[in-house]
Amino acid sequence: MSAEFFYTIEVILNGLMTGVMYSLVALGFVLIFKASGVFNYAQGVMALFAALTLVGIQNGQVPFAHLINAVFGTHLDTFGWHVPAFLAILLALGVMILFAYIVERFILKHLVGQDPIILFMATIGLAYFMEGFGDLMWGSEIKKLDIGLPQGANIWIESATAGWADGFYGFYLDNLDIWAAGIALVLVISLMIFSNYTKTGRALRAVADDNQAALSVGISLRTIWVIVWSLAGFVALVAGIMWGAKSGVQFSLSLIALKALPVLMLGGFTSIPGAIVGGMIIGVGEKLFEYEIGPLIGGATENWFAYVLALIFLVFRPQGLFGEKIIERV
Amino acid sequence: MPSAFVLDADIDTFPKLLARNAVKFRGKPAYREKEYGIWQSWTWDEVKDEVEALAMGMLALGLNAGDHVAVIGRNRPYLYWAMTAAQCCGAIPVPLYNDANAEEMTYVLDHCGARFLVVEDQEQVDKVLEIQNQLPNIAEIIYLDKRGMRKYDHTHLNAYVDVQAEGRAGHARLAPIMMERQNVMNANSTSVMLYTSGTTGRPKGVVLSNLNIISAAISSSEFDTLNAGDSVLAYLPMAWVGDFIFSIGQAFWNGFCVACPESTDTMQADLREVGPTYFFAPPRFFEGVLTTVMIRMEDASRLKQRIFRIFMAHAKKVGPALLDGKPVSFGDRLKYMLGDILVYGPLKNTLGLSRVRIGYTAGEAIGPEIFEFYRALGINLKQLYGQTEATVFITQQPDGEVRADTVGVPSPGVEVKVADSGEIFYRSPSTFIEYYKNPESTADTKDAEGWVATGDAGFFEDDTGHLRIIDRAKDVGKMSDGSMFAPKFVENKLKFYPNILEVVVFGNERDTCTAFINIDLNAVGNWAERNNIAYASYQELAGHPQVYEMIKGHIEEVNRSVAQDPMLSGCQIHRFLVLHKELDADDGEMTRTRKVRRRIVEEKYSDLITALNSDATTVSTKTEVTYEDGRKGEIKATVQISDAKTVTREAKAA
Amino acid sequence: MNASAQTYVTEDGRTIGTPIMEMKNITLKFGSVAAISDISFDIREGEIRAIIGPNGAGKSSMLNVINGFYHPQEGEIWFRGKRRKPMKPYQIAQQGIARTFQNIALFKGMSTLDNIMTGRFTHMKTNMFWQGIWKGPAEREENENRDIVEHVIDFLEIQAIRKTPVGRLPYGLQKRVELARALAAQPKLLLLDEPMAGMNVEEKEDMSRFILDVNDEFGTTIALIEHDMGVVMDISDRVVVLDYGRKIGDGTPDEVRNNQDVIDAYLGVAHD
Repeated sequence: MSAEFFYTIEVILNGLMTGVMYSLVALGFVLIFKASGVFNYAQGVMALFAALTLVGIQNGQVPFAHLINAVFGTHLDTFGWHVPAFLAILLALGVMILFAYIVERFILKHLVGQDPIILFMATIGLAYFMEGFGDLMWGSEIKKLDIGLPQGANIWIESATAGWADGFYGFYLDNLDIWAAGIALVLVISLMIFSNYTKTGRALRAVADDNQAALSVGISLRTIWVIVWSLAGFVALVAGIMWGAKSGVQFSLSLIALKALPVLMLGGFTSIPGAIVGGMIIGVGEKLFEYEIGPLIGGATENWFAYVLALIFLVFRPQGLFGEKIIERV
Repeated sequence: MPSAFVLDADIDTFPKLLARNAVKFRGKPAYREKEYGIWQSWTWDEVKDEVEALAMGMLALGLNAGDHVAVIGRNRPYLYWAMTAAQCCGAIPVPLYNDANAEEMTYVLDHCGARFLVVEDQEQVDKVLEIQNQLPNIAEIIYLDKRGMRKYDHTHLNAYVDVQAEGRAGHARLAPIMMERQNVMNANSTSVMLYTSGTTGRPKGVVLSNLNIISAAISSSEFDTLNAGDSVLAYLPMAWVGDFIFSIGQAFWNGFCVACPESTDTMQADLREVGPTYFFAPPRFFEGVLTTVMIRMEDASRLKQRIFRIFMAHAKKVGPALLDGKPVSFGDRLKYMLGDILVYGPLKNTLGLSRVRIGYTAGEAIGPEIFEFYRALGINLKQLYGQTEATVFITQQPDGEVRADTVGVPSPGVEVKVADSGEIFYRSPSTFIEYYKNPESTADTKDAEGWVATGDAGFFEDDTGHLRIIDRAKDVGKMSDGSMFAPKFVENKLKFYPNILEVVVFGNERDTCTAFINIDLNAVGNWAERNNIAYASYQELAGHPQVYEMIKGHIEEVNRSVAQDPMLSGCQIHRFLVLHKELDADDGEMTRTRKVRRRIVEEKYSDLITALNSDATTVSTKTEVTYEDGRKGEIKATVQISDAKTVTREAKAA
Repeated sequence: MNASAQTYVTEDGRTIGTPIMEMKNITLKFGSVAAISDISFDIREGEIRAIIGPNGAGKSSMLNVINGFYHPQEGEIWFRGKRRKPMKPYQIAQQGIARTFQNIALFKGMSTLDNIMTGRFTHMKTNMFWQGIWKGPAEREENENRDIVEHVIDFLEIQAIRKTPVGRLPYGLQKRVELARALAAQPKLLLLDEPMAGMNVEEKEDMSRFILDVNDEFGTTIALIEHDMGVVMDISDRVVVLDYGRKIGDGTPDEVRNNQDVIDAYLGVAHD
């Protein structure tokens, strides 16, 4: 087999791993949409906010330092300590759970029974509020996120596969991507087990299915919402860590939400495995397209190819690859 | 007389075999049952303990040696134990069909004079209490499931576990009595009494000795190399001789495990979970499963359909040859292996047949295509020919000599002969003792030399030595022009169409043959849905012109094939109708094992038959039906009659 | 009517206790329209209590009041000897009141087993942490509750559909699964909203059998709504009759059947 063949494989592998990164973001959307029918526009910003919080905690930043300094004329910056990564992640998670609680308490609770479009609007508002709030809390400069994940090419794979064909120098795979893929996989499997085999998981699915019936068996909708938003916050944190480690923590991180949209269109808004497979298809599709066709038409196809692919899918399978096809029986 | 079959004295009854197994197979599962979603299992030594506890409990209740103990319920380990427990007390178990109606049940209970009844649940208790006033012999009723039983008068009603507890409590006193009773029993004592479903007349109580059952179990186990590692799913009626042989006879002899389904409805799922290695099912089961598979394939994606078609075609080509160990080219083997991964394996797995080492079907003829389908998948499905009176086995197909149109060679130890009249006779150590309280019938069936008339007509193939069955001997008749009339021959050909569930052909002493058709609601309903044919009821679908058109097509195809046979070409169907109701055991139109009671159908629908033999194109009729709860009702219908093209018999002359 | 609050034993040997739930002068209004006006009745422990009446009589509203979907403007609800404060439906479920719905409110995408398992929700106490790691207490609890659910499945004879998504089941079976879910909660009071609506004769008989068996085997107190008098009269111990939001009769089936107001109401209103 020729080197060309192996390079194509390499493109596919890279596509798969990029796809998994998209899936991570899409997952957050799916969780909230499934449980409450709300398209959470703020999911991308949540990832940014989670990453900002993590970096802030790790570096011992004083929250709202700018504001405090401006009001009190102080020169606070950091506490001067450095929090270990593991602890910082736990603390950041705590913040996301607190955030979920606040969202439920101050927004969702008041919008019970409203049209989905109203709730969607509310999440747009939430997104912009959080963006400003994040800046205010942690500052707006670009930050580097490092929780000790290995970066750079995986030498072992590269050297092990080198020479499989003439002119082939081995697979170039980024360690961070490999880790991200692994973590995403573990996350998805745990989420599926959680939702299938635990009482809370069942309650989540129950609420997604029928509110009234869920109430009648003793499930509190508000508790479930807090749990769902916390889970989405957790997923956002993981996505934030991965994307932040890859390309720095900055405003553009919130735009990864845009990458998740075609994934959702492809995989369906209600399916966890759909988010993963959808992400992989988009990832592989756009990388392959860029690699094979891109040079012919001047490149930079990655920006739009995903949407075209998703559109084509929408035409043939509106409910998405794994979406529930609702068949009403009489 | 048949050659003597001698059993060692320490293993010539089932209680003795149980005692042997409790030692020999200690710790090995003997019974499994799914209860509350989990497979429970009992080892042979545990079974011995349970059986003896029940036996002693029944002794405490006053069970006498020689009493008949009726067992009514679906396949459950506890009910199998009840049969062995009865044997432990020197009593004779009589399993009954649990879906029998009050009248049938009254007849059998009265005929055998059962003193003890072991029943499954409240439903059966209610049924028995309802007829109890006609059955003065009933002394005690033992029920298994306590649900709903709290408020009943318990003077003669006993919960199974309570009886066992009583037995355990009285161990010191009762065990010696039990042992004494057991020791009196030997190979010649009655082991069980089974009522034949009887396609004609009243059921007859077939008395089978321990020798009958155990010799049949031994010979058949050797024939198919059954062993302790095998497993079966017990789902066929306990009153049927086959179930007694598989789930008790062979299981006790070999020490293999008998699994019972969770409920009647879960049989398919349980089959998948148990994955038996030894499996019996009537042709109807295999037909039904195949129909379901085909319907599901039609709903599958086009790619899947294609893969399925390509590999099934290949399987049909080489599967049976592989199974018979005939030479197959390497390429074909490779393709078959690929098919196994993609199609056959997953399919067998969903059907629950992936571990089946030996599969049998019997009772009715099986469609060659259906038979080949399973063989092609690599399932070693074979045919046997048997009867209650023979303790099942008369002929069997040996591995490597399996065909759809024969029933195999005489089973080991069985002598078979075909009389000049064409009727088949057999004798063996497993030949029944007698019909209970019915010496006339016994004499009619079994002659002084031990030859038993089967009532079936058939012949041995010269080149292979395989037996082929034509029809019930007394159903074979003559048409008015003197040519041979064998309804089964035509009916079976028609029943091989998935759309046709049941056929009854009439023509004895008439000019032409006519037929009643029952459509298969599953297959035809699916077809109707596919072709946008709306229908509100079975009756409406059955009378639909397009359905008639389709059935007519099938009949004409069969007519062409029947015309090929020089002897039977007169049996072509000239006119037919699609019945407005399904033939039903509750209405007495079929036996509980789902064989058509020709004579009853003929009487009940005489108006329809008259119409078939006239020029009428429609006929109005009223039919009495029995609902599940025993109430009677009536359906009125106007049934269409259609002509079918026949082929002239010139072929004969040429 | 058996007016005294004494415990008594029925002819078929069931013990009927003191009132477990008392509705006192309940009035429920939607805007200015009164769905229920000044109705009082009680439900005694262990009995089958039917609430009947023509369509629009206020039966469903009454059930929704008991189960907390509606909050009455006036009146008191007493449950197990205590006056009940206005509560959310899920809190009422936690108190041991389970219900079914007229139009079947099952979780359609979930399997029969999962649906029934949700019925155990209020009995499962392990926190998210243990559930998250799925070992230890969470696993034990899951298995214990699965066992209870399996007994319910066995009781209602729905083993064959354990793994089937309920959306694919026929109507009659869905009704049974819904009953199973309510039963799995081992409720102190079981509310059934038209359990036999839309069923054929055979299914109705089955359902009646199951209701009687539930009451008999587990001693569950059952309150049920029906607008068809026939079946209800056969299976209930006492019957409340509503018409236009008022109570027009209350007593044993025989008493109610001979009550002139009831006869008038039923003759005056078309059966539909």
